[in-house]
Amino acid sequence: MFFHIVLERNIQLHPRHFGRSLRDNIVSKLMKDVEGTCSGRHGFVVAITGIEEIGKGLIRDGTGFVTFPVKYQCVVFRPFKGEILEAVVSMVNKMGFFAEAGPVQIFVSNHLIPDDMEFQSGDMPNYTTSDGSVKIQKDSEVRLKIIGTRVDATEIFCIGTIKDDFLGVINDPSAT
Amino acid sequence: MSVEPFNRLVKLAARAFYDDITTKGDNQPKNGRSDNRGIAVVVLDALTRRQWVREEDLAKDLKLHSKQLRRTLRFFEEEKLVTRDHRRETAKGAKIFSAAVAATVDGHTKEGDEKIKMHTHSYCCLDYAQIYDVVRYRLHRMKKKLKDELEDKNTVQEYICPSPTCNRRYTALDALRLYSMVDEYFHCEMCNTELVADSDKFVAQEGGDGDDNARRRRREKIKDMLQKMEVQLKPLMDQLARVKDLAVPEFGTLLAWELRASAAARAANGDANGNDPSKSSQNGYGGPPMPFFGETKVEVAFSGTEGQEDKKSEVDHTSLKVLPPWMIKQGMNLTKEQRGGEVKQEAKMDGGVSTTETSEDKKSITENDDKKNLQDEYVKAYYAALLEKQKELEAATKQEELSNAQMLDGEASTSSSRQVGMKSKRVEDEGEEDVEWEEAAPVAAGNANEPYKVDLNVEADATADNEEDDDDDVDWEEG
Ligand SMILES: [Zn+2]
Repeated sequence: MFFHIVLERNIQLHPRHFGRSLRDNIVSKLMKDVEGTCSGRHGFVVAITGIEEIGKGLIRDGTGFVTFPVKYQCVVFRPFKGEILEAVVSMVNKMGFFAEAGPVQIFVSNHLIPDDMEFQSGDMPNYTTSDGSVKIQKDSEVRLKIIGTRVDATEIFCIGTIKDDFLGVINDPSAT
Repeated sequence: MSVEPFNRLVKLAARAFYDDITTKGDNQPKNGRSDNRGIAVVVLDALTRRQWVREEDLAKDLKLHSKQLRRTLRFFEEEKLVTRDHRRETAKGAKIFSAAVAATVDGHTKEGDEKIKMHTHSYCCLDYAQIYDVVRYRLHRMKKKLKDELEDKNTVQEYICPSPTCNRRYTALDALRLYSMVDEYFHCEMCNTELVADSDKFVAQEGGDGDDNARRRRREKIKDMLQKMEVQLKPLMDQLARVKDLAVPEFGTLLAWELRASAAARAANGDANGNDPSKSSQNGYGGPPMPFFGETKVEVAFSGTEGQEDKKSEVDHTSLKVLPPWMIKQGMNLTKEQRGGEVKQEAKMDGGVSTTETSEDKKSITENDDKKNLQDEYVKAYYAALLEKQKELEAATKQEELSNAQMLDGEASTSSSRQVGMKSKRVEDEGEEDVEWEEAAPVAAGNANEPYKVDLNVEADATADNEEDDDDDVDWEEG
């Protein structure tokens, strides 16, 4: 799920970045530091959408670096148990398959793949129905439901299922 | 609208889900005396025979301790079956409710009325719409939970290291760490042995393992439960299906219900009798004690269906559709009916229309349509006004052109001014509807120039000149 929230962070800046474009430098440093990172609490920071406030800088003893407390608005992506996501299959093996929804990695184990889909090994491993009409392989797009998340301080990993109504392949690259 | 199917639903749901609910805390000993299982069903049943009810009265009726009743009701509030309302009220406020309740239930709640002084009273009422949803949701969740377990849905796959010295277990959540680039399988973090999915192990050792037996028994049990559920809850599900398309009884908030009930009581019995318990108790215990269901009728009227007489009266003229006047353009080949009968088109066709004509037409419309209802008239009048306005705009543009032409001539300015004067008078007659036109008039006049004095351009020029003069003066003074 996406959220638009306000976060806070201290940005350390070398004195050479001071001057007229100090604010711009703080913002670009913030973007570099924050965008694309993941915190267990808030999820993945997708993009910074605005700066709420830049506080007074504090000079660090001995280094000359200055720390600015910055409040910023950003869009974060946080997967939840029970959430339905659309993802691109990144890897298929006999244990199941991995898929990616933006920055999130999801593993679907083979017992959560519909029973009528069989694993086919080969240079393009895939799961295929007996009549061959549905195939899951690398780069397939699937709709899946998250049934579990592992949230670490800097990482979120999900496991999902496609064994439910309206889940499964939504776009097969080999069909087109 | 009947409440009976919904009451049946409530009763079935009560027996299905709340039969063995006890509101006593778990720490209390459950000996025969304190066991109050079944209370929930009794309370729900009692509520199906009432609408809004003061909780003390209900307790009295059920011969229950009010604390016990309150605990049960709080439970049902959490279960979303019952809405409750609390308020501090004086004896007078309580009387209003008593008056309402006297008319709905029976008179015996009256006694003790006078003693009440500013107490917090709680009221409760079944929320049928919500009950319907809650019961359906509950059934859905029950079935889904069992089915998911039966089909191993939503269970996290476990992996186990087959190495006898290691036997570590992992779950699918570790997949990313376990995945090996070498052979694309999962490997034990400790001994690097290829991991085996836990259920695979069970399948492999079918028959021998005690765990496997437990698992199979569990599945059997779930299957059994699902079947039993289908059978035992069938009446409830049937009732849900029966109720599906019925209008849900709605009592509204306590306040709204009170107002409605007392108003209805007054209407039915005459003002004085509204509070008379002897009168209303004629309903007795046996009869349906809810005479106000008529009040909660919900009517969904679709326009264009029968009963919409205002619309129909127009349509009834003919099978041909009446075109609204603003759709009728010059040169259209229409029947009289299509023009809506008496809406006079001749005036429109003429092009050059005078206001008196149209206002007469307007009058004739209203006279002809006397029997039609007000709304119809209003619509017609509105269209007529629109039509007029359209025509006048046309006329305005025409006259503007005319006056422009005359301005070019330079001679006929007097005649043009007279025209402008006429026009503006007419504008006054028309009132606010022709604001646009009114604005247009001075512009036209401005173009016509000389005789019309409200010429902004001219005045602006003059002031501009003055200002220049002033500037000169200042310069001169400074110099
Ligand atoms: Zn191991």
